[in-house]
Formats: sequence, C-alpha cells, structure tokens
Amino acid sequence: MSDGSRSSGGAAVGERWARTDGRAKVRGEFRYAAEEPVRPCLDVAVHRSTRPHAKIVSVDTSRALAAEGVVAVVTGADLFALLGDRLMTGPAFSDQPCLAVGKVRYVGEPVAAVLAHSVAQARYAAEEIQVEYDELDPVHDVDEAITGSAFVHDELRPSAVFGDLKHLRGKRDTNVNYEFNLRRGDPDAAQGTTVSAEFWAPPTHHVPIELPYAAAWPEGDRVELLATTQTPSYVRQSLADLLDLPLNRVRVRTAPLGGSFGAKMYDRLEPLVAALAWTQRKPVRITATREEAFLLTTRHGAAVSGSMTADEHGAITAATADVRYDTGAYADVGPRITAKSGMVATGPYKVDNVRVRSRCVYTNKPSAGPFRGFGVPQVTWSHESLVDELARERGEDPAEFRRRNLLREGDIAPVGTPMHSADFVGCLDAVTEAIGWSEPLPPAEGRFVRGRGVAVGIKAVLTPTISNATVQLNQDGSATVLISTVDMGQGSDTIMAQIAAEVLCLGEGQVRVIGADTDVTPYDTITAGSRSTYHTGNAVRLAAESMRDKLTALAAKHFDVEATDLKITGDGLVSAQSQATVSIPDLLLAHFGARGTTLTAEANFSTSWQPYDHETGQSPQVTEHWFAGAAAVQLTVDTATGRVHIEHLAVAGDVGRAINPAMVEQQLSGAAIMGIGHALFDQLVFDEGQIVNGTLLDYQLPSIKDMPDKLTPIVIESPHRTGPFGAKGVGETAIIPLAPAIANAVRDATGVRLTELPLTPERVLTAIIEQEQS
Amino acid sequence: MREIQLTVNGRRRRLAVADDELLLDVLRREFGVTSAREGCGVGACGACTVLAGGKSVSSCLTRAARYDEAEITTADGLPDGDEVVEEFVAARAMQCGYCIPGFVLMAHELLEENPRPTDDDVTEHLEGNICRCGTYGEIRTAIKAAAARREAREGRKSA
Repeated sequence: MSDGSRSSGGAAVGERWARTDGRAKVRGEFRYAAEEPVRPCLDVAVHRSTRPHAKIVSVDTSRALAAEGVVAVVTGADLFALLGDRLMTGPAFSDQPCLAVGKVRYVGEPVAAVLAHSVAQARYAAEEIQVEYDELDPVHDVDEAITGSAFVHDELRPSAVFGDLKHLRGKRDTNVNYEFNLRRGDPDAAQGTTVSAEFWAPPTHHVPIELPYAAAWPEGDRVELLATTQTPSYVRQSLADLLDLPLNRVRVRTAPLGGSFGAKMYDRLEPLVAALAWTQRKPVRITATREEAFLLTTRHGAAVSGSMTADEHGAITAATADVRYDTGAYADVGPRITAKSGMVATGPYKVDNVRVRSRCVYTNKPSAGPFRGFGVPQVTWSHESLVDELARERGEDPAEFRRRNLLREGDIAPVGTPMHSADFVGCLDAVTEAIGWSEPLPPAEGRFVRGRGVAVGIKAVLTPTISNATVQLNQDGSATVLISTVDMGQGSDTIMAQIAAEVLCLGEGQVRVIGADTDVTPYDTITAGSRSTYHTGNAVRLAAESMRDKLTALAAKHFDVEATDLKITGDGLVSAQSQATVSIPDLLLAHFGARGTTLTAEANFSTSWQPYDHETGQSPQVTEHWFAGAAAVQLTVDTATGRVHIEHLAVAGDVGRAINPAMVEQQLSGAAIMGIGHALFDQLVFDEGQIVNGTLLDYQLPSIKDMPDKLTPIVIESPHRTGPFGAKGVGETAIIPLAPAIANAVRDATGVRLTELPLTPERVLTAIIEQEQS
Repeated sequence: MREIQLTVNGRRRRLAVADDELLLDVLRREFGVTSAREGCGVGACGACTVLAGGKSVSSCLTRAARYDEAEITTADGLPDGDEVVEEFVAARAMQCGYCIPGFVLMAHELLEENPRPTDDDVTEHLEGNICRCGTYGEIRTAIKAAAARREAREGRKSA
C-alpha cells in the first residue's frame, strides 16, 4: 500500500465542489432508475401471505390466470421446480426464496407473482389468488424466540460464501442463527460502582423516498437487470448463482438512488424479477408500493441487557452487554450485524474486563437488514445510557467522566485491535463546547425543564472488502471514472471526481463518474457502511496515480528527459530542467496521432483482517479503520405533555480528512436529523407479527418541524495513515450517538432515565409522573 | 373516460382521461413530466407536489378529471433562471434529490402568498414535505435567499 497522504499539488481535495447533478435534481429533470428507458415490460404484482407462520397447503391461481391482461401466474413451487435450492438467496444465509416455498414466515411474504399487461391488471389478479394455509405457532418476541419451542426455520442454512458460518449448517431446533462473543478479563471480579439496565431499541424503517424498483429481461442467452440497488456487484453474483449462469451472462445496471440508507441492498426485488424474466422468457418490472417497501427490509429491533462498573478513581473497569437482534424471518446480513456491533457493544472506552454476547434471532416478521449504523446505534443506546448513569451515580460530570475513559490513539479496544485515527476526545470536546456545556443552563420557565446531554459513538468499518477503479483520460483532458459505487445522495460521484482530479491536477467539472453497470464498471463489494470514500476512494486514487505515471512516461519520451524530471500541474506536464510544458491534450494528440483517444489506468484496493477468535472475539486487526463521533444536545421537556424540544444539537465526526467539507457537513446533519426521529418517535409497530403503521400516514418521519432550533455539524480531522489524502467515510457517524445524547439530556432535565426508544411524549410523561409518585 | 383540457407549464392540450386516473400519472405519461414522483401514494410525503393555479396539490391523490381547465406548473417546467431554483442550487439544497422539486414548488407557493416569510412561516408551510436525507437547513436558507432576491427585484421594478 502506498502512502495515501502524498499530495500531487492538485487543488481539488478539501474544496467545496458542487454536486455534478445538483441543478438537474432541483429542477426534477434528474432520472432515477424507474425513469430510465427499458424495453416494454410486463408488470409484476405479488400475492402476499396473510399469516405469520403457516404451511402452504395449496395455491389456486385459476381465477388470477383468467383475469384480464394476465400473461402468467408463478408460484414459489413453480420456481422451486425449475431452480431447486438455488432459489434460496441471501448475503450471509441462503434462506430466503423470492416466492415462498412450502411455508410462509411473515405476514406479507410473497407467495405468488402475476405477470400482466398493466400494473392495475397485475394487482387485481394478485388479489384473486387463493392460498390455503395450515397455521403453525408464530414466533413474535425476540426473547421468546430464544427460549420457545416454535422455530421459524427447520434448520440453519448458512451461505456457502462464508467459511466462518460453516459450523452452523444443518443446525436444528433453534431460532438463534448466529452468536458473537467478546471476552476480555473477568468483569464479574470488578469492584466499585456498577449500574445496569435493560434497553430496547425498536425496529424502524429506512423510508428512502424513491420506491424500490427492478426490471429484468432475457437478452439472448443473457439476463439483464436495471434496479435500485446499492450493491450491483453483489446482485450480479447472487443472480448468477440463482440462475446458474456465468458472471458474463448477467448484467446489472443501476442509477443514482433517491435515497437508500441500507434499504436497497443485497436481495430485495432483484431475485424475483430475474427469476421471472429468466423462467418465463419475458421482460418484467416491478415498483414496490410504499406499503410493500415496508415489507422488504427493516432495521433490527434490539434488546440489550447491559452493565458498567467504575472503580474508586473513576476508571471504567468492567462492562457487559447481552444483545438480542430481532432479524425477522430471514437472516439477510443479520449475523454480520450481530458481530460488527457486538465487538463495540461496550463503547469507545478503555475497559479491561468485558463480556459481550450478541445473538441474531429469527422471528416471524419481515426480514431486518442493514440500516445506517449497521446495528451499532442499538448497542450505543445501551452503553451511552449506562456510562451517563455511572457518571451521575459517582457525582461526576458525564462529559468529563467519558473524557477520562475514552480510547486514545494507540490504545487497545476491547476487541483487541489498536486505535488509530479515531479522535473521540476531539469529537466530545467539540460538541460540548459548541453547545456551551460548561456554561450554566439558562433558567427554565413554567412547566418546562431544561437539560443537556452528550454521547459518543464508535464503529468499525466493514473489513475485509474490495474496490476497483478504472480512470479513462480522454484526449481533450477530461476524465471518466468507472466504479461500481452508487451515488444515493451521499455525493460519491463528486467525492471520487475530486480524488481523481487532485492526483491529475484537473479542475472542477473535468472528471465525471459513470453509473454502475456490471458489464462496464469493475467489482466493488458494496456501497454501504460508510466505506466508499476510504476504499473506492483509494482505488480511484491509485488508478489516478497510475495514470499520472503513464502521462509522465509519455512526457518523458516527448521531451526526451528522465521521468523524474517531470511534474504534473494544472497546465499539463512540466519539465523541471527546461520549464517546457505540454498540456494533456497536446501530449495525447502527439502520442496517438488522433483526437478523441483515451488512455486508461486501473487499480484495486483491498483490505485484510485477522478473523476474530470464536470464543473470545479477540483480533489484533479486526478492522481497517474506526469511525468516531459524538453528539451533544440542549433541550427542554414540557412536563405537562412530555414533549421534547431540541434547542441546540451539535454533532461531530472524525473523518480523517474532509475531501469535500460541504458534503461531510450534509452527511453529519442528515444523519443527525434521521437520528432525531429514532430518538423521539420513529418506530415500526407490530401486532401479532403484522405491521400496523406501514404507510406514511401512520409512520412518522422527521419533518422540517422536528429540526432543532440550531444544528451544528462539526468536522474533526485526524488523518488516517492509509486513507486517500487521509480521508475516511462519514455516512453513519452522527446517527450512532444521537438517541442516547437526547435521552441523557432528558435525564438531565427531568431526572428520569428512559431505557426504551423512542422517547415519545407519552413515555416521557408517564416516567415523570411515576417518578413524582415514588 | 372524459375529455379535459390541461395547461401544463404553458402547453395547452385536450386529452381523454379515465375517471379514476391520477393527475400524477397523466402528467408523467401525457406531458413527460419528470419532477413529480410517487413517494407514498397517500399525500403524506410531498414528492408528487405540483401547482394548480399556483396552489400546491398532491398529484398522487387527486384525479386528473377534477383539473379540467387547470393551469399546472411542475418544477421541470420552471423557466431558466428561476430564483427559487437558483437559490436551491446555490445553497446546496439537495442530496439524493428525489423530494427536492416538491420543496421548490412549495417555496413558490409560499413566496406568492407571503413574500417575506419568517423562519416559522417557512416551517409551517413545508411541514408536509419529507426530505429523508435531512436537507431542511439548506432548504430554509435557499427559500430565505430567494425571498430576498425577489424583494430586491420587486424593489427595483417599483423604483
């Protein structure tokens, strides 16, 4: 790995370049996937299960087949007859069929699909399908799922991809599909002040405003697909496995997404349309309704039993967490979430005695998957509430108590990996200073009480992963970057352009990133987990550096000098000796003898790790880098209604180096606003396994009315030794500590410690009344 | 089916629509509108916002047949140099961009009704539109700047 912080003298990194697509987005002329022209497609509608857990006795499709405009009706059994076990897909476990086979496992699970000449015809016919069920005992509660005798799956089916899940294959009579354990020292022997509590973070939904969409069609002996996905490379492999095709016969295209936040990744609508298109030899498409989008994936509800102990000097000596993630009917990436969040479940503190047990549990609900934060906000809800209570128990300032115990550069995290470029203290100090932590609280008026709270978050970046980039330099001096990273609003197209431009000394607008197309753009693990700036950014940097070397070699030949004599500048290649300059257009024209030619360079950037020990969770290198963030809040609570009003929210993230500070600030503030929803009202409500608020009339999202009076995003830069120009990602950083920061401020204002999210007015008021009565 | 007349971004057309056809679907199919989009289908997110006679309408909820003779404005039909659009661009009031045209039209409606909106006025008026990326601060800045620009322009005109 070469030195990432070496600058070539460009003027792109650190600049507030505008998004390349900003004006088209504002005017609404920007085209999302569903607006891309494709060949005429049949519309698909899905008939869904009305039972949480049942055997399918029979599926009667005769009335649907007779309905107007219907071309075909396909059941899970039909697809299973053609595809067999390959029908079962999933990133960690191969447990999910795109249409149920033999059994349904949640209310809303697809059972059969109708292909018709219009959406209305398809939807009408889907309602005409009759399914007879033989009901089984449903599993609704995550803790009852662990102890009970009803099982969502007869046996565990880990995907063949992951060697570390092999030992789970065929395991029966359990709903626990994965367990991660972290052991260090002996927390039971620790003496001092201990606090403990039970925490609950409910399931929530991503609700990107663009609805999920997928279209697929057979193209000769190939299958082509256009879909709203964050993971085109993953989808290509998944569909190749599903249809038993070589990778070069599967094409996956995507377009910039209208938001995603983890909702549009891995296997969503893609296996369904691909299986239908391939087996029926028809072009098909589907756009999920908003109600259906709620069923495609959710954020894990999580129960955490946690404790934290400090010695008489105020050092945290022990911490524990027993985490149960409700992953719903299909594992999706739940086992990975369970491990990645389990390894940080005791927080960003230097603690010698740690015990974490983190389990991923099947229930009869829609599958839970990745959501901005990847399970870490749920464990942060526990450790940042506990550390706050522990400080108060000791009569200490909660910020100062944290400050003393936070991990610093070179410290070993509880998971066994040393810290680098994770400035927790800097983040904590920045947010507390921003809200005036050390100044006296302004006096409260009437029935309102005022308080301040703070929280710190830690997350490890997904490791190991792979990114590739190709830079194509055009003879006119413009450049095109080919990557499979998907811009979904985070601005990756602009960030990658800035990185390439920095190396090649190009200006704003001279580098364009093209949309992911697996026929054209090289493999990239996923656009998720805040990994793109670091990983794809490094691949782009390396490809651009390789391009710079090629240009230097051409110029050396051009001037008949040594390559070491040449330097790339905004004017082109300059010879130090003679000060002669050749522009890129002139150099390439001279080299190729033609206009419009292209020079290409490519690079791979891959990270490695040392797998954690299965008994202890320990690894000296569990992650490529860390995310560090903090949030501080000043708020009022209306003691008559329980309503929380945020006066000032400050969020900080250590991003290593901000490639584009304006976009970093937008990621910080956007994640903070999403976090306000999770803290105060956002939740999926289930009744007997059925979502009862799965429409936007019922599901509350943060609006402009929920904005704090003041929101301060703060960029902290402690450069990463191998980040591109020192940079790391930022998409998730601010959401991680958000909910506990608000709850800690409510605690400060009211004296009430709430352990269940969200902090609805009803919940806050009830707690205030109970406190008064006791 | 019934025949109606719609004027969309200045283009007038007579066309036949089914009684239950949604305004959103007719605008996208018949007029090539791209800026109004379905986000929720129940009028709760504002992504489908259009202006009818200058008033905001959730086009995913309403039948096209009700809008016979209406003058419809959509964000993609706003003139070049539109002050609200320019200020949204300048304020970086977009991330994924999906919801933004709806906010642009809400801003137009607000500034017609109330040329000098306070922060609270902006909040009240935009409450029904959801930006899941959380671009509200930038949107507020853009609208205040657009109001100031309009005021300066009006001032020049009357001077």
